[in-house]
Amino acid sequence: MISYLGNFFIILSLIVSIISIIFFIINKKNEKIYFEVIYYINVRLVFLFITLAFCCLLLAYLLSDFTNLNVFFNSHTNKPLIYKFAGVWSNHEGSLLLWILIMSTYTFIFSFEKKINKKIINWTIFFQIIMIVGFLLFMILTSNPFTINPGNPNQGMGLNPILQDPALAIHPPLLYSGYVGYSLVLSMALSGLITDGIEKNWIQVIKKYSLFCWLMLTLGIGVGSFWAYYELGWGGWWFWDPVENASLMPWLAGIALIHSLQILNQNLLLKRWIIFLSILCFSLSLLGTFLVRSGILMSVHAFANDSSRGIFILLIFLVITGFSFLLFIIKTPTQNKATSLLEINKTSFLIINNIIMTIACFTVLLGTIYPLIIESITNERISVGAPYFNSTVLPILFPGLLLMAIAPALSWGKNELKNFILQIRILLIITLILMIIYILSNINLWGLIGLGLSFWIMISSIYQIYIKFLKNFNHRKFRTIISNNGSIIAHLGIGILILGITVSSVWKKEYIYNMKVGEIKTIQGYEIKLEEVKQFKVDNYETLKGKFILQQNNKKIATIVPEKRYYAVSKIVTTEAGILHQLKQDIYLIIGENNTDYWSVKIYQNPLVSFIWIGIFISFIGGLISLKR
Amino acid sequence: MRPNHQRLIFIIFSILLLLFSVFLILSNIRSNVIFFLTPSELKNEKVEYYDKIRIGGIVKPDSIETIKNSNEIKFIISDNISEINVSFVGIPPDLFKEGSGVVAEGTYENDMLISKKIYAKHDENYMPSDIAEQLKKNNKWNINYK
Repeated sequence: MISYLGNFFIILSLIVSIISIIFFIINKKNEKIYFEVIYYINVRLVFLFITLAFCCLLLAYLLSDFTNLNVFFNSHTNKPLIYKFAGVWSNHEGSLLLWILIMSTYTFIFSFEKKINKKIINWTIFFQIIMIVGFLLFMILTSNPFTINPGNPNQGMGLNPILQDPALAIHPPLLYSGYVGYSLVLSMALSGLITDGIEKNWIQVIKKYSLFCWLMLTLGIGVGSFWAYYELGWGGWWFWDPVENASLMPWLAGIALIHSLQILNQNLLLKRWIIFLSILCFSLSLLGTFLVRSGILMSVHAFANDSSRGIFILLIFLVITGFSFLLFIIKTPTQNKATSLLEINKTSFLIINNIIMTIACFTVLLGTIYPLIIESITNERISVGAPYFNSTVLPILFPGLLLMAIAPALSWGKNELKNFILQIRILLIITLILMIIYILSNINLWGLIGLGLSFWIMISSIYQIYIKFLKNFNHRKFRTIISNNGSIIAHLGIGILILGITVSSVWKKEYIYNMKVGEIKTIQGYEIKLEEVKQFKVDNYETLKGKFILQQNNKKIATIVPEKRYYAVSKIVTTEAGILHQLKQDIYLIIGENNTDYWSVKIYQNPLVSFIWIGIFISFIGGLISLKR
Repeated sequence: MRPNHQRLIFIIFSILLLLFSVFLILSNIRSNVIFFLTPSELKNEKVEYYDKIRIGGIVKPDSIETIKNSNEIKFIISDNISEINVSFVGIPPDLFKEGSGVVAEGTYENDMLISKKIYAKHDENYMPSDIAEQLKKNNKWNINYK
């Protein structure tokens, strides 16, 4: 019943969307008064219907309506409520509906925009609605979440237990808010091109949206990595998997975009470049979606595996990207003013950032699709290992990271190197110290470079915040102390992030033991004792808990409890790592199979992992501050 | 300096950076490529791989054997035609079980894949597309694999 209603709303939203497209094309020339009224009502109706359709699916999940095929495959009556909720977007069909919902939400919010002129808004909405129609068709034709179950079961198949996790429940909405939001950025860029309306207000609005999308993407990727860290039980948090790369590419392009918009803010420079980046961001999001959902790449977390879907997404990707770039070439805006590049000013630093980010993005892209290229040429199946990405992307990012420490403090026009003599001295001292350490000890070179870089960024950022603080403090301008420092705080966060990444990946320790109950094993600085192994029954799973005591000099410090869960509905075992989070290091335990009296146990000591999450969070806060300004 | 010159220098800078990254890409990608083979392909080639390779297939039912008092697990990867013996040290992923799809990474010496990494999929119904194709080709496809 609910499924029919959902289907009805989907069709309705498709019809209204198509009507508004036709209506816009007919009325493009003669701007009658009633035009806008009807057009805007239509747009809001599309939003309303899609929301209602989404609510129908939500309701179907909450009520465990197994006459819906999608609910049947992905839900179960004894699943906790929050995962019935999250079950909606845990699968291909439902997540596609979420995608469309977010797309129409952005359109809906944008339709209230007052800052820019109506013509641009109308065109932007027009492009958005066209894309919504594309995705609606995709959903209806290949992956409808409201398909009726041919059978009449009274129980569902259950949600994949590995997805039954709070972090993964919010991960898709966050990530999609970023991915899909770039569609609005793209539409704005296209309408700016068509109406030739790229001016101050347009920039302010597009800046707001692109920053917001980037923040959501950052948070989404952060939550995803955190989940991978504690749920997959591999001790790591980033694996250069195609799916992760798919989210990293728009993220890098997004960094380039928000930085280039800063330049544009100043003197309307680089219009062409910004349009290019705006198109690139959403194109990469779409490409990522294609790679993930077509099953074309061998990935650790491939979604569904259906070639007809793949072809459809490829089609959407080609049409949107092709059309956008074509329009970009035809209607390319004229550059009106030259600026003084080549001087040590903010503009040239931001341009360097852009070049570096774009190239980094390109290398990730190449590494991700290289297996596809090779397979189509030589028919050999290969995959590109993680070391490729580490040894390619990191050196490319390096100069950019070096410059980001001082860039926010530079002025726009003038050549101001002399103000930075102190900071440059600090950099030289750091480098010198690290070189001496390198010569005297056999420390890892990568680790050393990472350390130097992170300290340079952190020290410089804190120094700049301090200077601004002094300046504003004397003038009693307390509000500006915070609001001016958004970008510096974001950079500080990146510095902390680099510290966490470097230390946790270079100095991590890994032990595999076979332990009997009562046995004690030593790891660096601690002893670990297996106290007991017990079985429990919880909600919808059974669990095997190993109780480990962490000791130092025979004094108990903490208890760590890794688990193995067995979900009877889907007959799946999942690992829940036991992690002791400390600021300086995580102690990460996994309990494996038993072998007579012995349990296999894997222990990781990951130093400074917490800095990764803290860094991401501080960057996010910095971005929020910039957004509010 | 004239604006044109500035632009030129920036373009030269970007091209240099691009060349540098192309150099990095080419030199790195070659050494980090991991070949993916099915058990039959590996048997037909009759070579020993000292570089890492990935073997994908199905864990042969009743083949998992744990070695006493160690973390070693022995099992057989099969594509229903050929079989490869695998020795794995470590804790296998959750979805690793007999009769379902698996990809093992390691070196191939003396008819044995020495592996330290096993990939099993998040999705219990998922099967690497390569293996699916192979199975279909050999008419060994079983609908239950999905």
